[in-house]
Amino acid sequence: MASSSGNFEFLTKYDNRVARLAHQAERYVHTDPDACLFKLRLMVEVMARALVELQLPHLVSTDLSSMLRGLQRSGLLQRKEADGMHAIRRDGNAAVHGEAATTPAAMRRLRDAYRLSAWYCRMIRRGAKVDLPGFNPPQPPPGTDAQAQVRQRAEMLEAAIEARRNRARDALLLFSDKEDVDAESARLHGELEALERVAVVAGEPVIDADLVALVMAMDVEQILEQPAWGRTADEAKAEAEAQFNLVKMAFEEAEAGYRQERSRVVESQHEADRAARHVQGEDPS
Amino acid sequence: MSEVDHEALELATTWFIAARAMSVAAGHLCPSREATAGLYGRAILGLDEETCLAAKTPEQVGSRSLIDCLASVAAMGEATAAKIMTGVMLIAYADASMHPLEVRWASSLASAAGLTEASFQACCVNARVIATMMVDPHEAN
Repeated sequence: MASSSGNFEFLTKYDNRVARLAHQAERYVHTDPDACLFKLRLMVEVMARALVELQLPHLVSTDLSSMLRGLQRSGLLQRKEADGMHAIRRDGNAAVHGEAATTPAAMRRLRDAYRLSAWYCRMIRRGAKVDLPGFNPPQPPPGTDAQAQVRQRAEMLEAAIEARRNRARDALLLFSDKEDVDAESARLHGELEALERVAVVAGEPVIDADLVALVMAMDVEQILEQPAWGRTADEAKAEAEAQFNLVKMAFEEAEAGYRQERSRVVESQHEADRAARHVQGEDPS
Repeated sequence: MSEVDHEALELATTWFIAARAMSVAAGHLCPSREATAGLYGRAILGLDEETCLAAKTPEQVGSRSLIDCLASVAAMGEATAAKIMTGVMLIAYADASMHPLEVRWASSLASAAGLTEASFQACCVNARVIATMMVDPHEAN
């Protein structure tokens, strides 16, 4: 097993269990990327649970997805941290379910975990000054040219997958990462206030807020059973379901494509490893 | 950018401004609202990835005011304008309350779209039904 690069030493004084998982993930990144991702996934779960117990003790659901959503809704988990934690959750789940993982994918998540660790320390200990130097990627064990070539191929593949995923994610978000969200929000809020002042002076009508409140308070079943709305709402529901399913299927197809591409690279990696062992006389086959 | 259809880009830009206005009307950006807008645009308005990205460039959303957005809604066909209204109400429902500025923005959009009381009711009801189907983009992607 390769030795740890010591990126997570600082964590020990804040949370021993999280630190241990991070060290283990770091040690496995080259030799067993599946195990690395599994450890990182567990690390994120332990972090999320600690934050929930500290900040949202009323949260009933305890699966990782629900905990992350709860932390996001409460505003504790901002977009950047949420993206990192969800990426570790997704890739960790894939590793647990036996999908092929590459070292570059595990390294990306390890880097995310490094960034998240500093944030986590500041969250669990108010006033904690965690000033990290840059992430020091654990070095691969020495290998053959063929192994290095496959590593390079895997790195290119993971970079391409990450870029495609980021595009898909950016398309879904309300604001792009390049925008100053606070400034843009303030601009729109100011325009809304101006609109309100003008509308009040001009006596502009407002929507039926009682109706909105009523609809908001109703269960979907009640709406669908309501004679005046039921049929059109049912049609709208069926149509929306079909359209959402199309989008979800497109995401699932893209993920299936990534898995296939990874499997091919991982197979090449195994071939190169077998050949290297054969040369070293460790594998007589 | 040249691959993006002009009409679709106009719809996407209008949608993102309308959705943003509703998302920030209460004075803070609610993460669950942020999550709702993109999926609705992709699934219900039929906007593709390229168009959604192009709409969020400074030349598009950054150069338009809410008045521009209302003018664009007023120029749309009734069915499309109703879909925008439904999406905006979907965002309003995300935190189960309505701030006065949210009421104003919904009212301004309804006026611009020329919605009758019955059409507006349908938008509200449909939004409530669709709200149950929304997933986090992290779950989808």
